Amino acid sequence: MKKTVFGGLCAILLGCTSTFVQAETLRLANHGQAGIDAMKSTVERIEKKLGVKVEVVEYPAPDKDYLSKLLTELGAGNGPDLFSMPSTAAVADMVDAGYLAPITTEINAWDGYKNFYDVAKKLAVSPDGETYVMPYMLGIQEIYYRKDVLEKAGISTGQPKTWDDLIARAEEIKTKTGAYGLLFPAGVSWGSGAFDEGFQHLIVGSKTPQIVTDDGKLDLNGEGVKDVFNVYKTLIDKDLMPVQPLLGPEPWVIPKYELFPAGKLVATTCGSWCYIFDWGRESKNPIPDVTKVVGTWTVPGQTGGQFVLANLAAPWAVNAKSANVELAKKALLEIGSVETQVSYAARIGNIPASKDAASDPEFQKLTELVPIHAAAEKGTFLKQAAGFGTVAEGVARATDALLRKEVDAAGAQKILVDYVKETLGDDAVK
Amino acid sequence: MAKTLQERRAERQLMIVLLPSLLLLLAFVIYPAIYSVYLSFTNEALTGAAARAPRFVGWRNYTRLFNDAKFWNALFVTFVFVLGSAIIGQFVLGLVSAIALRRRLVFRTLFSSIILLPNAAPEVVAGFMWISMLAGGDHATLSRIVSFFGLPTADWLQVFPLAMIIVVNTWRGIATAMILLTAGLSTIPQEIYEAARMDGATPAQMFRRITLPLMMPTILLYMLISTVSTIAVFGLVYALTRGGPGGATELISIYIYNQSFTAYQLGYGAAVAVIALLVSLMLGIAYVRAAKVEI
Amino acid sequence: MSVAPPGESANCVRGDLMAYATLSLISIFCAIPFFWLLIASFDGNAQLFLRWPETWTFANYLRVFAKEDGAKWLFNSLFVVGSATFLVMVLSGLGGYALSRTRAWWKLPFLYAILLIRVLPSTALVVPLYKFLLTLNNAEGALLRPIFGSATRDIMRWTGFIDGYLGLILVLATMQLPLSLWIMKTFFDGLPRDYEEAALMDGATMIQRIRRVLVPLALPGLAASGLFAFMSAWGDFLLPLILLSSPELQTLPLGLFRAFLRINEIDYGLLTALAFIYLVPAVVAFGFARRFLVQTFSGGVKG
Repeated sequence: MKKTVFGGLCAILLGCTSTFVQAETLRLANHGQAGIDAMKSTVERIEKKLGVKVEVVEYPAPDKDYLSKLLTELGAGNGPDLFSMPSTAAVADMVDAGYLAPITTEINAWDGYKNFYDVAKKLAVSPDGETYVMPYMLGIQEIYYRKDVLEKAGISTGQPKTWDDLIARAEEIKTKTGAYGLLFPAGVSWGSGAFDEGFQHLIVGSKTPQIVTDDGKLDLNGEGVKDVFNVYKTLIDKDLMPVQPLLGPEPWVIPKYELFPAGKLVATTCGSWCYIFDWGRESKNPIPDVTKVVGTWTVPGQTGGQFVLANLAAPWAVNAKSANVELAKKALLEIGSVETQVSYAARIGNIPASKDAASDPEFQKLTELVPIHAAAEKGTFLKQAAGFGTVAEGVARATDALLRKEVDAAGAQKILVDYVKETLGDDAVK
Repeated sequence: MAKTLQERRAERQLMIVLLPSLLLLLAFVIYPAIYSVYLSFTNEALTGAAARAPRFVGWRNYTRLFNDAKFWNALFVTFVFVLGSAIIGQFVLGLVSAIALRRRLVFRTLFSSIILLPNAAPEVVAGFMWISMLAGGDHATLSRIVSFFGLPTADWLQVFPLAMIIVVNTWRGIATAMILLTAGLSTIPQEIYEAARMDGATPAQMFRRITLPLMMPTILLYMLISTVSTIAVFGLVYALTRGGPGGATELISIYIYNQSFTAYQLGYGAAVAVIALLVSLMLGIAYVRAAKVEI
Repeated sequence: MSVAPPGESANCVRGDLMAYATLSLISIFCAIPFFWLLIASFDGNAQLFLRWPETWTFANYLRVFAKEDGAKWLFNSLFVVGSATFLVMVLSGLGGYALSRTRAWWKLPFLYAILLIRVLPSTALVVPLYKFLLTLNNAEGALLRPIFGSATRDIMRWTGFIDGYLGLILVLATMQLPLSLWIMKTFFDGLPRDYEEAALMDGATMIQRIRRVLVPLALPGLAASGLFAFMSAWGDFLLPLILLSSPELQTLPLGLFRAFLRINEIDYGLLTALAFIYLVPAVVAFGFARRFLVQTFSGGVKG
């Protein structure tokens, strides 16, 4: 008897939940204090405009663990309504997994999107032709070099034209100043940086500039991949780039925050944020007059051409299984506003994706970023595909072996190909 | 043999007090473990197309595993790690400390407190401390100590990665060995030593003929517990090396983590976990056979 | 306790000296890594490497509590791990007693099964565990929401299985149960049955036997099993990371990882101060339970 009553009670209660109306709450997962600060005014705006309560959740962990947590939650169907993603390389896989809600219709109907740079819009389109992420910020990367050191040593500051030209310049720096000539991030401990801030720069200018075939397979056996690893190999063998620090924890600290400001490393790949954080006003170890003393080169192609790498920086997306998909999409458009972009630019040092930012008085104060923003349209990029997260890890492992001088370029390529095949299956690789 | 009514009631009461533990273990350990066995026969992933529609793949994960050089490497690394840190390092230092601490020394409490300290450090904190000790070439504390004695320095985690994680895990586990072995020592009656001394036995002889044989059950119990918990060590080594360089310290636990949370291949990671469980199951049975411990 | 008999003093002194020497070496080995943590946490410009601070300062510690939510993290950690430890002590006390006294056939297989299952790293279990907890959580939410309405969220913060104290406490406790059950079982093996049998003869019920006879006798064992449970749960990072989201619930190890996320550069002052705060409760726990440890285990290995 008791049991029946209890069972009935349960059934009634369960029945109620479906009709029960709850105050609308949106959960936003963000990563890192700087990002949360940058979103503060946006959150208030969303609450006011949409009449919802916004709850910001900080996931406190390194990028990789953040993604693990996010994916575990999304996989179980319990993710936050909106979230930022630490690496664009993860996006295509998350689309395949069905975690992200398509926003193609909404974003194209939105007025603000019309003035986004084309490169941002293209980067946001997934292999299936739909858009799933708000491409509100761009990471613009090229080679940053110490103009003052070169001029003092009587070395040309002209734009290197080819890879050989670039390596020759690095060698000249080494012989004339004794300093390291050029750094491309590499190795496992740099995480996705080995791919995002190193490998990509070179592969876009190689003989095989894309690593995805038309049918979505990964093309990693190309000659270009080997040639790229060969550039690493040359820099390492000739002692043109610092190797030991890259094998330790926090590999960027010694080269970027110590060697470069001291003039002991003369050129490195870096992004727009470097003028502010690595060596500028927010740095612990700033270079005086950084925009005058530190110049930029585009990355030359193997036999010519000039490349400036454009990435989506920490794009936001909507959880496909959110209870409030429509509301979350509206909030996502707010995150795309110029105001939010400028707020991020000021705190993270990335480049707003909207052309309108140029006329924003707050953005104009960020004088280091204004010229980079103006030239953002020229950015090149790698076509994204499922499995890019795996490729990034494979590149990290391959370059790690190069740093340890265990393999040559072909060996590094084999490590990359083997890792991707093992992880994704043989048929994922062409 | 028929049990008396009272005995049966007592047995039932014992079951009842064990029940809450049993239920928790079933819900939060056994069920996920069984689920992992199921996962090991699928291509379940955390992201990518397989996450949307996982498929049953039969023994594919297992055949892949047996052809996977990295898996065998992980198994080998784990074996060396357990042998070096649990069976040799912790055991020898723990035994030496336990024996030395039986003497009436002035700083006895101080010594034993200091030896217990590493065990109190949470894995993450221990990881940080050892990074400071070992990483960064000449800046590392160990390099400075070594060069103080005029010896050559090295980038420890790059040149001797496996040896270093064995040292670190030894450091962390001396205390457990010491506690268990002290307990074992204290059960040996003093009279036996007295008698042996009367017969003119040297300390070395006494150790070999009396201490070791009488300690055997304790030692084997210690070996069983420390082997099992050392196989499961993860955070400490992950914080130090992440399994690198080039897989040199990729313990089976790190390999599982990398498969599940770096490559997001849950199915394959689960297959590795199942094999790891089977291997340690065999090890455990071997120990129990050897020890004939009465429990 | 002492091995050395009176007389043979030369031999004894030499033995003592050797003991001092080996213990000093081992102690130095054990203590050295801690120096960096201690010194850097008071250094105004802390680095990854050991260095003598130019200025000594409390600023790092102040920052933990003033600028960060250090007090909240500390409270959460103490509350969650403390509750889990208490739970483990109760359950392993009862269960260990049962395992020690039962004559059931499954006793041995059960004991080995729970010991060996410890080799499964929690990384292998975490995904199924999360799904299972989520199911429980959703069921609980569906039950509570009609009754408590919008207050459900606040209640679930305490009783929820995902992103709630209860779930984390239960899971953390369960992970420590196998070893604790073993410790208590071996401990009870070392306790003579005379007392309980006497009580049984007097017609005492199970509850009375436990309360009057076993609890007082079992205290050293409970201290030891509680200590191991506390240490292991205190150090766990992965479970709180996966199971908690709300800022109100964050624990110390998660706070520690926040120190990594300053722009690219690790704030070593904050990190070491936090790590030190994180270390202290574990050391204090050891200080309390230390004297019970040997007592507990000598009971066990004798049996």
